[in-house]
Amino acid sequence: MSSFLTDLLELPFLFNAVLAGILCSIAGGIVGTFVVLRRITYIAAAISHCILGGLGAARYFSVVYGLEWIRPIYGAILTAILSAVIIGIISLRAKEREDTVISALWAIGMASGVLFIFKTPGYGEDLMSYLFGNILMVSSQDLWFIGILDIVLVTITAIFYRQIVAVCFDEEFARTRGLSVEFYYLLVLCMTALTVVLMVSAVGIIMVIAMLTLPVAVGCKFFNRVSKIMLSAIILGIAFNVFGLMASYEPNLPSGAVTIIIAGLTYFATVLFFMFKKTKIKTKLN
Amino acid sequence: MIMNEESVLKFNNVNFAYEADRTILENINFEIPRGDFACIVGPNGGGKTTILKLILGLIRPVNGSVEVFGKKPDEIREKVGYVPQFSKFDSGFPVSVLDVVLMGCLSKNFWWGRYSKKQRAMALTALDSVGLGGFEHSGFADLSGGQRQRAMIARAIMGEPELLLLDEPTASVDVKGTEQLYNMFAEMNKKFTIIIVSHDIGFVSAHVKTVVCVRKTLQIHPVSELTGESLQKLYGPEVNIVRHDHRCSEKGHVCHHS
Repeated sequence: MSSFLTDLLELPFLFNAVLAGILCSIAGGIVGTFVVLRRITYIAAAISHCILGGLGAARYFSVVYGLEWIRPIYGAILTAILSAVIIGIISLRAKEREDTVISALWAIGMASGVLFIFKTPGYGEDLMSYLFGNILMVSSQDLWFIGILDIVLVTITAIFYRQIVAVCFDEEFARTRGLSVEFYYLLVLCMTALTVVLMVSAVGIIMVIAMLTLPVAVGCKFFNRVSKIMLSAIILGIAFNVFGLMASYEPNLPSGAVTIIIAGLTYFATVLFFMFKKTKIKTKLN
Repeated sequence: MIMNEESVLKFNNVNFAYEADRTILENINFEIPRGDFACIVGPNGGGKTTILKLILGLIRPVNGSVEVFGKKPDEIREKVGYVPQFSKFDSGFPVSVLDVVLMGCLSKNFWWGRYSKKQRAMALTALDSVGLGGFEHSGFADLSGGQRQRAMIARAIMGEPELLLLDEPTASVDVKGTEQLYNMFAEMNKKFTIIIVSHDIGFVSAHVKTVVCVRKTLQIHPVSELTGESLQKLYGPEVNIVRHDHRCSEKGHVCHHS
């Protein structure tokens, strides 16, 4: 633990990692709350898996065709937004069998990613870092990028907060007030897509969904206002990321996985705590 | 129907179908005069909710026209308050009662995420008038079923509409709560025209002025004319009728029997 703190001041990559964790948690807390309230975690997971296709394609074209300006994150953003819009339109139009279509896109996205990575000369290790993330590899350029996206997400939320909450709470009523439910639904999906791209660098494609939902799930146990849940999810997300980095640093474990384990254990501890509290009240009453 | 009275709602030869071969509503013609307290009744799948959605402008008729205050439904939203069936809500949604009521003043032109002082005052007045004064900071999830229904009504009336639409307002409210709700509606009826969708015809007939029966086609009755025969025609011969004390309407009436 002490070596983590001394290294934090000396090693810029460690400092970057902590900063990335903090910035990702801000976006994650805000967007994660909307995702949980609107019950679209499954769609968020599908978007995150589709990103592999974009990452793989961007890497392929940059290596094979020498287009070095194409960075993997560009491919990730493009596919994330594209898949969010496609999935959004499908779930708005097709009321039935929505989950089947989403699963198919999820799998196609991943499969094309695997193919691109297979055909790209170089190390196969890239695949592992996409899937499981490596927050220690975050560059200062990435940090700028994450920071700007944070500002965009916070601004959009500040402008449309009331409308988004109203649409999540009661879609039909919002429609009778003249709100464009489709617009807000696609907006939330696009915000989710951007957040997922940010988080992939920290915890990877597979674990993104846990980082998006677990802090919110813990917050929901303690608070019953959307704004408070959002704030608590941001703080919890930061805590999970920092503790995850600290705990994984010295034993040299993958930080993403350690972060998720900490988040997951906290969640289940909270659930058990409230179950215990409830039964205690019940036995008192009896 | 007295034609010289100002009507708030007018259906002209309305047909509606979700799919080409499945007609939900056929040749619907009716008017609701200002100050009426009407109830739309009919069997499941008979088209009650479809009529409500047409009035709200959520769907458009295949042919014919729907006029609300003489305009198209989606042009006149601020004059219509809507209370949806509340059973389909996520009961754990983390909002306060005041948050819910304030959703009633959202509109297309609502910009930048803050409610004004005036809107807050209107929300509190609406809560008072449904008997939920003092509950504004409670969690919506902590309310009882009847209280939640009242909060939904406060949300609908906070924008001071002229027409109030309620979809099954007494589903999942007990008998005592239902009685209280109808007394409240009678009070509100002095200010608004009210249209309710309900399956509970027995209870409704003691309180409302007009009953609109929908089963693909539509018939309109003042409550005095509501007989076992007309109900049987609507629901089929198996229906059990429990007679309540019917209150007769003073108004004259024309029936469009198809």
